[in-house]
Amino acid sequence: MLGGLKKLLLLLFLVLPVIISITDGGHMKAWAHEDEVEGEEDELSDDDEVNVDDGTGGEVETADGGEEEEEEDEEEAAAKGSPDADTVILFTKPVGTGTELPAGKLVEFLVGFTNNGDKDFILDAIDASFRYPMDFNFYIQNFTAIPYNRAVKPRQEATVMYSFYPAEAFAARPLGLTVNLAYHDADGNSFLEAVFNQTVSIVELDEGMDGETFFLYVFLLAFSVLLLVAGHHFLSSFGRKKGSKKAVVEVGTSKRDDVDYDWLPKEVLNEIKKTPRQSPRTRKAKRVASSK
Amino acid sequence: MMLVLRSLVVVAAVVVGVLGEGTEGEERARLLAAKRVHNLYLVEGRDIVVQYSVHNVGQAAAVNVQLTDSGFSAEDFEIGGGQLQVKFDRIAPNANVSHTVVVRPKKYGYFNFTAAEVSYQPSEDSAEIQIGYTSEPGEGGIIAFRDYDRKFSPHVFDWLIFALLMIPAQLVPFMMWYNIKSKYTAVQRPKKGKTE
Repeated sequence: MLGGLKKLLLLLFLVLPVIISITDGGHMKAWAHEDEVEGEEDELSDDDEVNVDDGTGGEVETADGGEEEEEEDEEEAAAKGSPDADTVILFTKPVGTGTELPAGKLVEFLVGFTNNGDKDFILDAIDASFRYPMDFNFYIQNFTAIPYNRAVKPRQEATVMYSFYPAEAFAARPLGLTVNLAYHDADGNSFLEAVFNQTVSIVELDEGMDGETFFLYVFLLAFSVLLLVAGHHFLSSFGRKKGSKKAVVEVGTSKRDDVDYDWLPKEVLNEIKKTPRQSPRTRKAKRVASSK
Repeated sequence: MMLVLRSLVVVAAVVVGVLGEGTEGEERARLLAAKRVHNLYLVEGRDIVVQYSVHNVGQAAAVNVQLTDSGFSAEDFEIGGGQLQVKFDRIAPNANVSHTVVVRPKKYGYFNFTAAEVSYQPSEDSAEIQIGYTSEPGEGGIIAFRDYDRKFSPHVFDWLIFALLMIPAQLVPFMMWYNIKSKYTAVQRPKKGKTE
């Protein structure tokens, strides 16, 4: 019994270091090794030329493991960021994870920077750009790099804000958004960290009533009114009884009462009222008599 | 037997401690703080609205969060509302708080709006004080009140003078028209005598 427990204890002491070595903060570790493809090394000879597209135009670089490879390694090291620095991004406008951005509207985010090291860090600038989702070396829209030049002391944090307007032409399209934070330490070592590097969707916000929609409704209303009027006219003419019409006789101006005196001045009207109405013949006879 | 059991308990405690150490260490508050100036025009003697927003993006609650802005000195600014030093007892994970201050600049010219300081405890049982800084709005030009007033005021006095100057220009033609009208209506045609 006791011997069995001793064996169990020994087993536990053997297993414990293994558990500790393969766990990292409660999460199991897995080391991934890239599989070697047969004949991969043989594909490129020392004299072969490789066209490397770095977004600035196709430059021909030789694959002979010279200075070019060293420069690339330096760039890769710089792009990773400092191990003593910790960054985080938060989209404040629109609120969310930043996977959907409104076309032609303001996008605003905060970038948090924590200095976990013992040396000062200086935040140089943030730049953002839209890239082609299938090939992140291909730039679609480049945004202004904002310089900050903010010093972050050891064990301290700093927040910087960045905002941009996605072009309206990119609505309903997926694009790769890359946000890079450039900073350097007190020793002058420069770092470039991609704080955000994901494919985002540019969405067109439904604004409800715009000018186009308003006039569309106006014309629809006008057309419907026109149809109603036409329909009413057709129905009324169709349903009208065709009765015998009386022949209209033109009477001319035989009636004296038909004369409209409203347009005459008051004094003229008074004159007309005072003088008795006479026919032209009697007036003529009177005139002849007076001349004799 | 008891010795073996004790050793088993110790081993179990060590294993639990090792496994739980990483996750416990991760559970810290992480604050992002922004400082925004909401005014389109910064004018001498007029209100400027400054908003501070603090977002907790960490896994734990931030405790005893203190926001201090020493950028608005008493000789340059007058506090119209709010406080430049404010304390939040607790900011929960994935939560945010905002604070607004209204200041009035006493002078005109260029002014650099600097970052405010945020200090907090990253977790409930943490004794360390984490210090952070908000975003900087940067340099802004404060316009002299005279210049702003010249451009944006309703100019009531100016319009009043204009109205007074325009009265004769309106009154003279009106009087002339009225005189002609009254003369025209007064003149009636002479009445003719009856001719028999």
